[in-house]
Amino acid sequence: MSPAQIRFLTLVRREVNRFFKIKRQTVGAPLLETFLYISVFGAALGTRIDQLHGVDYVVFIIPGLIMMAWATNAFSNNSSSLLQQKFQRSIDDQLSSPASPVELLLAFSLGGFLRGGIVATLTFIASSILVGVPVEHVLVLIPALFLVGFFFSQLGVLVGLRAEQFDDVSFYQTFILQPLIFLGGVFYSATLLPEPFETLTQFNPVYYMIGLVRYGFIGYSETNIALSLLFLTVAAGILFTVNLRLFNRGYRLRA
Amino acid sequence: MYALAIKDLVKRYPTGTEALKGVSLEIEEGEFYGLLGPNGAGKSTLIHCTTGLAQPTSGAIEVFGHDAIHHYGDARLAVGLAPQEPNLDWFLTLEESLDFHGGYFGMTRKDRRERAQELLETFSLSDKKDQRTRTLSGGMKRRLILARALMHRPKLLILDEPTAGVDVELRLELWHYVQRINAEGTTILLTTHYLEEAEQLCNKIGFINGGEIVATGTSADLAREYGVTNLEDAYLKLVGRGELSRAHIGSEA
Repeated sequence: MSPAQIRFLTLVRREVNRFFKIKRQTVGAPLLETFLYISVFGAALGTRIDQLHGVDYVVFIIPGLIMMAWATNAFSNNSSSLLQQKFQRSIDDQLSSPASPVELLLAFSLGGFLRGGIVATLTFIASSILVGVPVEHVLVLIPALFLVGFFFSQLGVLVGLRAEQFDDVSFYQTFILQPLIFLGGVFYSATLLPEPFETLTQFNPVYYMIGLVRYGFIGYSETNIALSLLFLTVAAGILFTVNLRLFNRGYRLRA
Repeated sequence: MYALAIKDLVKRYPTGTEALKGVSLEIEEGEFYGLLGPNGAGKSTLIHCTTGLAQPTSGAIEVFGHDAIHHYGDARLAVGLAPQEPNLDWFLTLEESLDFHGGYFGMTRKDRRERAQELLETFSLSDKKDQRTRTLSGGMKRRLILARALMHRPKLLILDEPTAGVDVELRLELWHYVQRINAEGTTILLTTHYLEEAEQLCNKIGFINGGEIVATGTSADLAREYGVTNLEDAYLKLVGRGELSRAHIGSEA
């Protein structure tokens, strides 16, 4: 391995090491949370709800839960990790190394991406065993999940970079991210909503992400798949470009 | 070739504060250079510009002939930094702190393991290698920070107030160690508020004040330049507090 490869792998390893050290909080808690959703909305309430678009209610909500697991974990990992390292100034060890801004950005992004991927995969495996989850369009599902993970990784990096205190991170998570995800149709189909809420939902970007992932799993979508994929790719690309510019400038990292 | 060559370095913060006002400085290979100055003189800013933690407004920095600002890869490989404030990651063990640092500098796993073991032994930290860094005492943290700075075998070691707040025996222990590695060829740039430390260790000293290097030389040169008999009095003259000289205390008694 070349010194540059060793450097990049170490930067990533450091991020993975961090969330595995506190795995009860970073992997265990999100898994439990997802199972609680499945139990309450799927098993308890779901028995009283008819099928939605040809599938059991519990199966209908699982794609959204898997997407939500990846998105929230990617976001919270990266925002917390960056802020915590800035707060301790331990990030100076990476910043004074030969690592380039793009290497640093990719390594920080991958930390959350991988954590989200692990939680989402474990959720999928457990859901498949418990209730059986179909995979109808794997060629849409894999890129859709990867793009969602990458998008929220970048968002986490951006918020972590801007944040100056832990309250800043929880503000974005509680007041922006959670409402967008919950109102994006994780637990229901937007077609069931009365106006103007059905139309308003269409202005929520997460609605299209859930649409993509749900299409990948159960083959049903209320959104245009090709347009949604294009939109998500462009949005993730824009966020990455913004973050790269900020890393190049040393924004809130270097004096 | 100079170990560190800084030319017309200016650092202006967005607030308008000019921390460095065109600093030029040259440190010969193998030198033990002391940078002295009051708080806010620009010592840490100069170090941060050299190590990539601050972005210079203008000027040039070369480390062993390598550009340290734009194409900084080789320059950073040659520098080890022990910062003023302990900046260890609370989640990592001592061994991991060294291992990750070595990885950032491209060291192989075998080399990292051997070097970490060697440094943990040197700084009497071997029995704590699996503890998390937050459990360490202040003195232990200082040792680990120095070990981490040395992990990738830098040719230029920058010590930013390495003995601030440490007990006498650790201070002496660190002095012995840095003197030894200097004798073995490592160039050292030291900032300190302990003039005795600078006098004891450094073969060249620079006074920095208000973002400018105002005098350079041996401790005897500086005393001569300020028309006094020792480094402490020269320093007091630099900061405009000549009345605090110990000579005055003696005469008042």
